[in-house]
Amino acid sequence: MTEKIFTRNFHRADSHTLSVYRETGGYTAVAKALSMKPATIIEEVKKSNLRGLGGAGFPAGVKWSFIPEGSPAPKYLVVNADEGEPGTFKDRYLLERDPHAVIEGMLIAARAIDSRLGFVYIRGEYVQPWRIFSAAVREAYDAGLLGKGSGFDFDIVVHRGAGAYICGEETGLLSSLEGKKGWPKIKPPFPAIKGAFGQPTIVNNVETLAAVPHIINRGALWFSGLGTKTQGGTRLYSVSGHVVSPGVVEAPVSITLRSLIYDECGGIPNGRRLKAVVPGGSSAAILTADEIDVAMDVDGLKDAGTMAGSAGVIVMDDTVSIPEALMVVARFYAHESCGQCTPCRESTGWIYKIAHRIVEGKGRKEDLDTILDVAKRGAGTTICAFYDGAVGPYISYVEKFREEFEALIRSGNGA
Amino acid sequence: MPKLTIDGKAVEVAAGTNLIEAARQAGIEIPHYCYHPGLTIAGQCRLCMVDIEKVPRPQIGCNTLATDGMVVHTGTERVLETRKSIMEFHLINHPLDCPVCDQAGECWLQIYYMRHGLYDPRMTDEKVHKPKAVPLGPHVILDAERCILCSRCVRFCDEITKTGELGIFHRGDQSEIGLFPGATLENKYSGNVIDICPVGALTDRDFRFQVRVWYLDTARSICNGCARGCNIEIHTNRSRPHHNQGRRVARIKPRFHADVNEWWICDAGRYGFRGIDDPSRLTAPMKRDGDRAVETTWDDAIGTLAQALSRHRPEEIGILASPQMSNEDLFLLTRLTEHLRIVNVDFRVPPRTPGDQDDFLIRADKNPNSRGAELGGVVPGAGGLDAGGILKAAARKQIKLLWIFHHDLAQSAWPETEQRAALEGAGLVVFQGTNGNPGSARAHLALPSAAYAERDGTFTNFQGRVQRFRAALSPLGDALPDWDILARLGRTLGASDRAFTAERAEQVFNALAGSVTRFAGMSYRGLGDAGQMVKS
Amino acid sequence: MSDVRNPAFTPLQLAEVRRLQALYPDPRGALLPVLHLAQETFGYISLEVEQYVGALFDLTPAHVHEVVTFYTLYFRAPKGRHVVSVCHNLSCHLLGAKTVIEHLTQRLGVEVGATTADGRVTLLTVECLCACEQAPMMQVDDRYEGHLTPEKVDRILEGLR
Repeated sequence: MTEKIFTRNFHRADSHTLSVYRETGGYTAVAKALSMKPATIIEEVKKSNLRGLGGAGFPAGVKWSFIPEGSPAPKYLVVNADEGEPGTFKDRYLLERDPHAVIEGMLIAARAIDSRLGFVYIRGEYVQPWRIFSAAVREAYDAGLLGKGSGFDFDIVVHRGAGAYICGEETGLLSSLEGKKGWPKIKPPFPAIKGAFGQPTIVNNVETLAAVPHIINRGALWFSGLGTKTQGGTRLYSVSGHVVSPGVVEAPVSITLRSLIYDECGGIPNGRRLKAVVPGGSSAAILTADEIDVAMDVDGLKDAGTMAGSAGVIVMDDTVSIPEALMVVARFYAHESCGQCTPCRESTGWIYKIAHRIVEGKGRKEDLDTILDVAKRGAGTTICAFYDGAVGPYISYVEKFREEFEALIRSGNGA
Repeated sequence: MPKLTIDGKAVEVAAGTNLIEAARQAGIEIPHYCYHPGLTIAGQCRLCMVDIEKVPRPQIGCNTLATDGMVVHTGTERVLETRKSIMEFHLINHPLDCPVCDQAGECWLQIYYMRHGLYDPRMTDEKVHKPKAVPLGPHVILDAERCILCSRCVRFCDEITKTGELGIFHRGDQSEIGLFPGATLENKYSGNVIDICPVGALTDRDFRFQVRVWYLDTARSICNGCARGCNIEIHTNRSRPHHNQGRRVARIKPRFHADVNEWWICDAGRYGFRGIDDPSRLTAPMKRDGDRAVETTWDDAIGTLAQALSRHRPEEIGILASPQMSNEDLFLLTRLTEHLRIVNVDFRVPPRTPGDQDDFLIRADKNPNSRGAELGGVVPGAGGLDAGGILKAAARKQIKLLWIFHHDLAQSAWPETEQRAALEGAGLVVFQGTNGNPGSARAHLALPSAAYAERDGTFTNFQGRVQRFRAALSPLGDALPDWDILARLGRTLGASDRAFTAERAEQVFNALAGSVTRFAGMSYRGLGDAGQMVKS
Repeated sequence: MSDVRNPAFTPLQLAEVRRLQALYPDPRGALLPVLHLAQETFGYISLEVEQYVGALFDLTPAHVHEVVTFYTLYFRAPKGRHVVSVCHNLSCHLLGAKTVIEHLTQRLGVEVGATTADGRVTLLTVECLCACEQAPMMQVDDRYEGHLTPEKVDRILEGLR
């Protein structure tokens, strides 16, 4: 059976407390890491094939190695707890049920990149998780694991966001942390060179850091062996929508989407049939019911023309109107566009208007080609990948369910 | 110095040069909105994308530094299609205001659409609506629908004036530039946002609806508002006299000069042209006849003044020269005073209110040529009276001929009683200037000067930089450049100096350069557009 | 008397502001937390509050206004004693968010975005709150309420005073 790494404490009472965390070997990895050379820690994490679990899937060890070696500048470790990708909720579980795993991961990462100050950016709506996580940080300070006199002298500042999905984008988060609008920064320079407050910065997802203590304790080889050739470990899949048992599922990254839906989550309820699945948060291209025999790792899903993203799996049965789903998703991107660069600012609103008009029965023949052409023209031209995330659903919903759209347009009043 | 290739052209640039500037040096235009060389990089408009070999996706040119061996292509199919796409994105919510928008004819949406767009528009849904015709301050009016959110104006107020009045509020396509509710855009450089706004979102309240820009002519000139001498363009409307309320000067725009004013000008300078077409302009020589002022001819006026100058002893003549006058004007004046051995000459009339000065462009001295007057020796000769002395001597009737150039004595620091006493004391008061004022109305002889916008000449700014200004217009009525009036006087008085035979300002300047060591070797051609520093 | 028109933090709160500002390499980093504090203290972020907070950070009011209008959790007008934010994003939509929203507008007698006349509840629709496993769900003040049915919604509303 799959060894549970991330979820091993989830069902224990008071799992968020230091004493319970310690009962299962908590904070032994950081003791080990503090006696390792930073470069060695980075090598271990590289060898583990740990890929970023927030959405981009970038190799974590490689990212850490971008910090200029020997730089005298202060380096910051920033935890992206601005979970916002529709269909994703696994970081919330980690913050509430195993905050110390994240803290320990932070300490090890800080050792690797020579950081003494970490920021945990928690989305503003996560009030309960913020309280629990902040209490865990205080516990860690009281126990001498953080702060002056702890040996490593690492400080953690817990920072609440104020409601903006774009603050989940790495540099949008940094702008927000700096007290500004969450406008992503133009790159270059990249955060490892010039990030938070102009200093070298590493931004990691909550879950990515929660994996790190295990990698240190049990070795890179063990972690990489749990997954595929290019991605190690298990990961947390957030499954919702039309399944019998929605929730957080920990599984090896090699699990197939079919297995996830039917074996882990009980399949489709109410005797309905599967119609479509969003495999990696709303920004991932949709898959049809024929396309679910795919491994849910970063490279497997990329080869299938979609992405692993945040591993937010939204299951749709055959009662679902895909044009309506597009309208809902287009509304989301229009609402969350930060407005900084022209292609995204102007076209997210426009495409929502078109999708809304189609659902209202006022769609026009040329609307579908307009959506596809505008999306393709904008992809790759923006400051950040938000728009590319919007393009995922824009193009895949229309291309893969074109007949359904055309039927709706034909039956509506618009010409 | 990186050597790179752009569209097949090899070009070498300074380290730290971005691709827009590198291309400019190679004579290639990369279209852009948000980039401005005087402001930080925003990277928001996405119009300046180019293809770079070995880089898979197009990159924005503004944020890409030229490196050695880089090969850039600005005209590939992909770049051209990207530009077309970006133009479409910019125009999705843009209102079709061209028929009523002042920017028409110099609008970068129009210009770039014609160069890089030319697609069939397909956005037929309702556009986003935002506030229109919102005055932001005394000079600037905002149309938020037209705004393309390039953020140049926000960056200007943050980085140049450091006053931070403007912001971009909300997000997505609801983003809107504006002021904090209830605030005004009142910094002393507010008009610059009009120049840098690529579209008709921020426009000039003074220029609003006055005249279409394609009717305007332009001349390169120098602002006469203070001692900095910001480089400007004067835009005039001569072909549509029924527009702009008949005024000839339509507006002033700053001209770039790296060492004087960069891209900017203060509001006082920008709007300081109103006197040029004001009804108070003197347009013909006027002579006092009893209580009335009567028009006369130049021959009569020059003759009268020449006689008066010959009739009086030198010590009975007092001249208040003006730092509004050009180097050429002042040179001929000093030649004249030498010829007539007049020693009571001074340009330093103290202003009533001390001028404001900041650590940016504005100088306390509100005259363009004090330095020129100083270098030209327009100061009392041996035993001569300074300006204050001249005033008092006139009151005591020791100065019998008081010749005032340009000054409005009511704006001086001298008490009103002393001004009046001087004007009443001097037997003959001559006023020579562009605009009439209460003092000039009492002159026995008023000679109309051409405004700086109506002639060629040079000013020397506070840095010691000699800068050319060029005629944008013909003189109003019978007005003549001061140097021309002085040349005629000189000739009438039999002065032998060749300088008095000049028929063009350039000839006077050449004479000046030949006589005054600080100006040695200078010529109009040498001055060009950058000007030259006086010799040390 | 300090209120939303004449805002002023207490000395204790000002000490907290300074403490927060000192946590960040640039004190501006404390702006979002201090705006949260201001909203809790004064009820919502008025223009006067923006100016007041701006002065604490040496920021022009325009730049504070930028931040306040960018983020959805800062209220710029009075809100109800309770804020009910219903998710209308994808998973919740699939599992009946529309029904929940219609039920709420009926029960409360207000349109989405408005506050009940007695000042009790402000009703909003919001994007994904990342509790999709409980869809359809909503946020009531600080807590998440999921697996909503009209009956459950009614029970929750009853508990809001």
